[in-house]
Amino acid sequence: MLGISIFNGLVYGSLLIICASGLAMIYGLRRVVNFAHGALYMLGAYIGYSLSLHLNFWFALLLAPLVMLLLGMLLDKLVFHPLQERDPLSVLLVTFGLLLVLEDLVRATWGRASLSIEVPELLAGSVDLFGNPTPLYRLAVIGLGVGSMVALWAWLRFARTGLYVRAASTDPLTTAMMGVNTERVNALVVGIGTALAGLAGVAAAPLLSLAPSMGADVLVDSFVVVVIGGLGSLGGALISAFLLGQVQSFGTIYLPSLSAVLPFLMMIAILIWRPSGLAGNRV
Amino acid sequence: MVHFKYLLWLAAGVLLPQLLGSATLMSLLTQAVIYALFALGVGILLRQCGLVSFGHAAFFGGAGYLVALLMRDLELAAGGAILLTLLALALVGFLLGLVVSRIPGIAFGMLTLAIGQTVYLSALKSRGLLGGADGLNIHWPAGIFGLDVKLFYDPASMFVISWVVMLVVIYLLDRLFRTRFGSITCAIRDNEERARFIGLHVTLPKATVYAISAVVSGLAGILSAIYTGFISPETLHWSVSGMALIMTILGGVRALWGPILGAIFYFFVKEYVGELTDYWMAMLGAVVIVIVVFAPNGISGLIEPLLSRKQELSRKQELSRKKELSRKQKPRQSVIVNRVEVRS
Repeated sequence: MLGISIFNGLVYGSLLIICASGLAMIYGLRRVVNFAHGALYMLGAYIGYSLSLHLNFWFALLLAPLVMLLLGMLLDKLVFHPLQERDPLSVLLVTFGLLLVLEDLVRATWGRASLSIEVPELLAGSVDLFGNPTPLYRLAVIGLGVGSMVALWAWLRFARTGLYVRAASTDPLTTAMMGVNTERVNALVVGIGTALAGLAGVAAAPLLSLAPSMGADVLVDSFVVVVIGGLGSLGGALISAFLLGQVQSFGTIYLPSLSAVLPFLMMIAILIWRPSGLAGNRV
Repeated sequence: MVHFKYLLWLAAGVLLPQLLGSATLMSLLTQAVIYALFALGVGILLRQCGLVSFGHAAFFGGAGYLVALLMRDLELAAGGAILLTLLALALVGFLLGLVVSRIPGIAFGMLTLAIGQTVYLSALKSRGLLGGADGLNIHWPAGIFGLDVKLFYDPASMFVISWVVMLVVIYLLDRLFRTRFGSITCAIRDNEERARFIGLHVTLPKATVYAISAVVSGLAGILSAIYTGFISPETLHWSVSGMALIMTILGGVRALWGPILGAIFYFFVKEYVGELTDYWMAMLGAVVIVIVVFAPNGISGLIEPLLSRKQELSRKQELSRKKELSRKQKPRQSVIVNRVEVRS
């Protein structure tokens, strides 16, 4: 029982961290609270659905985030860049409008009915883990979460562009003076953040069913993760995503009446106690 | 002079149902006016404090629930229950405001979102007391404040009632915000640090505005609960807060009647664009983007200069003077947004 709870918490935490890390990165560099992030997650899932129908799941898992990467860079070029001098509140409201547009766009393209993606054959079975039969696909989702976080960390830590990202998030002006094209860095980061939302969407699709409203829940949960971890902080988001996964999975068993509210209570407590979140604000 | 303007609007509202034959149009307008009051509640928080709330549905739906409970479980008369609810909202709003209004800018939006969702999910889970996902049927007595309850169900008469309530609220708010208190809230909104330096208490005024906005939103929620005779957790969901915010942004907040205009615009788009296409929300989203980017003061901001050219001129001068001042000394607003200023 205990093992299963921890495991399910890890699965949900993995999905959350993939999605929320994108949100945190975009905030870290662009100072934009992207209300459309949940809608982008949903769009990624639907694009993955179409790709998996025509090709197969693996192509979908690879290509959907790539499509989202391009879309994200477009989003930066067309929306975030022209609005960068505006106050954060109006940019927030613009992404809110974007959310409405994207949701209807998905409804118009894929219909209102909920769809589902089959679990790929390779991961359809289950393995014995500590005496419990465990679906292989759920294990793979945890693997994907850990893998993408390690990749992201390695990129930020060791790659030249990663260095630029860290520099630009600390001080964009000085970074630009040192000869870094911060606009390209920003576009790249928004692209990668959007791609991460898409990746989470495709990975979640075989577990949850696809519906145009699926973005809203993830958006709110991702906000909770990002706020608790400290806006813009990846490390903080990582810890709080897994914390939230565990809280939700244990909450449903031991505190069923409170489980849905617990994440919000945590968020309220953190915001009042430490408005900058657990980790302050660093990428 | 000012009172004359209100009387004119009052007469227009009373005459409108007589002039309009269409029942569907009337029920549309009634809904629009109720939500206009809600949008006004959200709008004054943005107007006087510069705060964007994503959780005001908690006050809108919560007021309906509270009235229903007071009448069902404490067997209060409808009028008493309504007054007690508004009083409770003022108190809760003020206490909550003392805590949440310390949180700056974007974090405030997320905090209110979290509080709103907490209330929504609690109501959804509470099957015994609040009827869970099914909500509550409210059994209104035969008369509310001496008015026959049938008047509240009929769109034409309910329109007049809501219209009058709305005008009274606008009048009171207008008077209030013209006082020293109103100027103080604006000063805090424009530069909290400077306001503190000149010796103003900054949290109390903000909490007061928060309480007022809670009461106004709650009033709208009560009207809606009387009109529909029903209250469900859906009215607490954050998308309802988002809807009120959309109306507020569409209408603009510089004029108190901006959110009203926004709500009417919203319902007309919903009705008439909704007839043409299922995807009216996308259209509305596009309009929101266009307005935020190109007309930050909303529809009312576009109309206002046409109404009063002279006032607008002096206001523009004042604005440019303000801009010059703020250019000379950029305020550091908060920990969270200060990096934006580095770039600009």
